[in-house]
Amino acid sequence: MPVTHQHLPLDQVRPGMILSDVLLDAHGQVLLPQGAVLTENMLSLMPRHGIAMLPIRAPEMSPQERAAQQDAHRARLAYLFRKYDPANPDDAATSMLHSYVTSYRLGQGEPA
Amino acid sequence: MSTGHKQLTAADIVAHLDDLPSLPVVVMELLDSIDQEDVDISVLAKKVSYDQALTAKTLRLANSSQYGLQVKATTIQQAITYLGFQTTRSLIMSAAITGCFPEGRCAGFDDKQFWRHSVATAACAKVLARQIRFNQDYAFTAGLLHNIGRLVLVSSFPDHYAQVIAYRAEHDCSLLEAEQSVLGVDHVQAGVALAERWNFSDTMRQAIGNYLTPEAPGAGFLAALIHVANAIVCALDLAQAGDDMVPPVSLVAWNALGLSEETYLQLFRETELRYEEITAALLH
Repeated sequence: MPVTHQHLPLDQVRPGMILSDVLLDAHGQVLLPQGAVLTENMLSLMPRHGIAMLPIRAPEMSPQERAAQQDAHRARLAYLFRKYDPANPDDAATSMLHSYVTSYRLGQGEPA
Repeated sequence: MSTGHKQLTAADIVAHLDDLPSLPVVVMELLDSIDQEDVDISVLAKKVSYDQALTAKTLRLANSSQYGLQVKATTIQQAITYLGFQTTRSLIMSAAITGCFPEGRCAGFDDKQFWRHSVATAACAKVLARQIRFNQDYAFTAGLLHNIGRLVLVSSFPDHYAQVIAYRAEHDCSLLEAEQSVLGVDHVQAGVALAERWNFSDTMRQAIGNYLTPEAPGAGFLAALIHVANAIVCALDLAQAGDDMVPPVSLVAWNALGLSEETYLQLFRETELRYEEITAALLH
């Protein structure tokens, strides 16, 4: 899955929002699993654990919105990598970075 | 092309270093203390505490989740107790340096964007360093400072640098090429000059001097790490610079890190999460 998270300060997080990552405390113990639906009660406990921001899953998008977002990512990547020449063997490392970032943004298995 | 200015030399850069804003005295002392064994930490902590803005910023950074403190540090002395002297010193330096250059001096130079890129590179370098068990404090500081020469040029020669920016836009080349064409010197040279003036450690100086040429003999591992972090930050578009461009990645540096695709995908994610936090601590 491409990135669909946002890192929100606690005061912007509302009950019902979904954690996009597992939440660990300072000792690396799991406080809440990935995908947990946050409740008022959970949120009120966060300051006690010294947690000020939470990774929140972005709202579901319609297929059209999603396609538009993928197109925007593709266009932006093409622009950022505009000096990179896939045919140039000296650019092997750039090629790998390009491929990894493309997988990251668009999801694995997408043609770069 | 006629630049309207004569080109600069390395000597011009050095001659203007004295006009640059200086770091707080206590930060200079911290820099000097790097190779000293007998530093009186409590004296230094006390001196830093007199600078309230610096203290507040340092503590915000220390309490961000990348350091995983269970109890919040409320004083510099506490930060040292929880995080150690090395880490706290790198945080104090980061907090001091991000506040010491005046903004808005040069037409077309976006100071905020500059710092977003620097902070993102620091975040990414630290994440990479942890993965390969390299010193994370060095990686963070070098990431933050890799481009500092650009601020030296912007502060000392704002009119010259405005032309660099115009040249870059016109030719769609890298800023380095634009600097070399218009100024005859570049931000790497300026960064090394500042690193010498501010007594940065040899490791830091080498990383600043070689982050674009990590395959050069004696460039050092930190240069390779910053080289890759810089490219990742551009590719992830973290600085949100409209005309950003991913620089060519050195195969030597890439192979030096030796990370798999799976690892990179995790590190990208972590870099983004850390970046947002550090930005909130340092730049707001």
